[in-house]
Amino acid sequence: MDNSKKHRILGIPNRYYVLACIILGAVAAYVFYYPVLPHVQMPSEAYPGTLLFTLPVIGEFYWTNTLTAIVIVDILLIIMAWAVRRAAKSGELVPKGFSGALEALLEAIHNMTEDTAGKWTKAIFPFFATITLLVLLVNWMELIPGVDSIGYIVPMEHKGTPIKEVLPGFFTLLSERDVAKYGSEVIGGEHEGYGLVAFVRVASTDLNFTVALALISVVMTQVLGFKSLGWSYFTKYINVKTLFTVPIFGVIDFGVGLLEIISEFSKILSFSFRLFGNIFAGSVLLFVIGTLVPVFAQSIFLLLEFFIGAIQALIFGLLTMIFMSLAVAGHGDHGEEAAH
Amino acid sequence: MDVEAARLIGAGLAMIGTIGAGAGIGIVVSGAVQGMARNPDAAGNVQTNMILGIAFAEAVAIYCLVVALIILFV
Repeated sequence: MDNSKKHRILGIPNRYYVLACIILGAVAAYVFYYPVLPHVQMPSEAYPGTLLFTLPVIGEFYWTNTLTAIVIVDILLIIMAWAVRRAAKSGELVPKGFSGALEALLEAIHNMTEDTAGKWTKAIFPFFATITLLVLLVNWMELIPGVDSIGYIVPMEHKGTPIKEVLPGFFTLLSERDVAKYGSEVIGGEHEGYGLVAFVRVASTDLNFTVALALISVVMTQVLGFKSLGWSYFTKYINVKTLFTVPIFGVIDFGVGLLEIISEFSKILSFSFRLFGNIFAGSVLLFVIGTLVPVFAQSIFLLLEFFIGAIQALIFGLLTMIFMSLAVAGHGDHGEEAAH
Repeated sequence: MDVEAARLIGAGLAMIGTIGAGAGIGIVVSGAVQGMARNPDAAGNVQTNMILGIAFAEAVAIYCLVVALIILFV
């Protein structure tokens, strides 16, 4: 019934490949190894034996698996930029394929910025676009098979899992069902357990990444505000304009200004926790669903994660853009807006 | 009480805070949809602000989630 060539690989309709994958997954899960709920750990895991350097107060620096993820994403972004540059230089008015899709995304972002920021579009758009693209790629990395699930097997002190050698040099974690099944081939047991340090773990599940992005966003908001309004920008925070002229409301305005300082700090907190919480909870959800129903159920949640990743990326960029355009617009005019 | 049991109960209690966020998101979307129905021309603008409002309301729920995750996994 489906005769289009696009949906065929080697002459066989794609749906049979999907079916084959489902059957393969079911056989692998029920006959060979049942999926294991990995040990969930909030700080990112360091690769064993990769102490980079030690700072006096802060402590030791390791090469962590989220760091690998962010390096991969950076390389992807550079390749994307290079591809778009080539498409732009080729002289075609309508870019095709990948660069066309990217152009559509960037154009939508640009229009959104122009509607809100007006003449400051040129200054604000780069932050919006960079943050959105970076976070988008970082979040979507969660969908790649092998991320979070392939890595070093390391001994763990508690809550470890027994392992078994599958191929020479390659090991897998075993679930309780399989421990009884494989008997003598099992390595480790009650007191001696092993855990997984994935080669790549999604960078947004590391608070360091999200806090760094939030700091960049909030600090650059202040810089742009200062650039736009000069020293009078800081009267937003230490409001002495009406303190001595208007009897009671001057004091209230001063207090509101102090609250603005606190709200800047809470912005950092909410920016970083929003992204971190969404993506970390998403990956834990994928682990748990994969353990409960090994086959097929996870695909539905992968779709959910696809949307959440995109929405969080857009929201991070959008909020940055909106805070920046509020900062450059000056507090005088948006105070009036609030009045009517 | 067992420490592990107390942890699980604590994580469950922390998530009670999401009730407020759920109600908040409902109110935001209800208002936005009414606005869009009355003035379809402004739908795009309303939608942007709606998503922004949802993000703020959701942030509170995410705080609860982070607290629960910290209790469970740290």
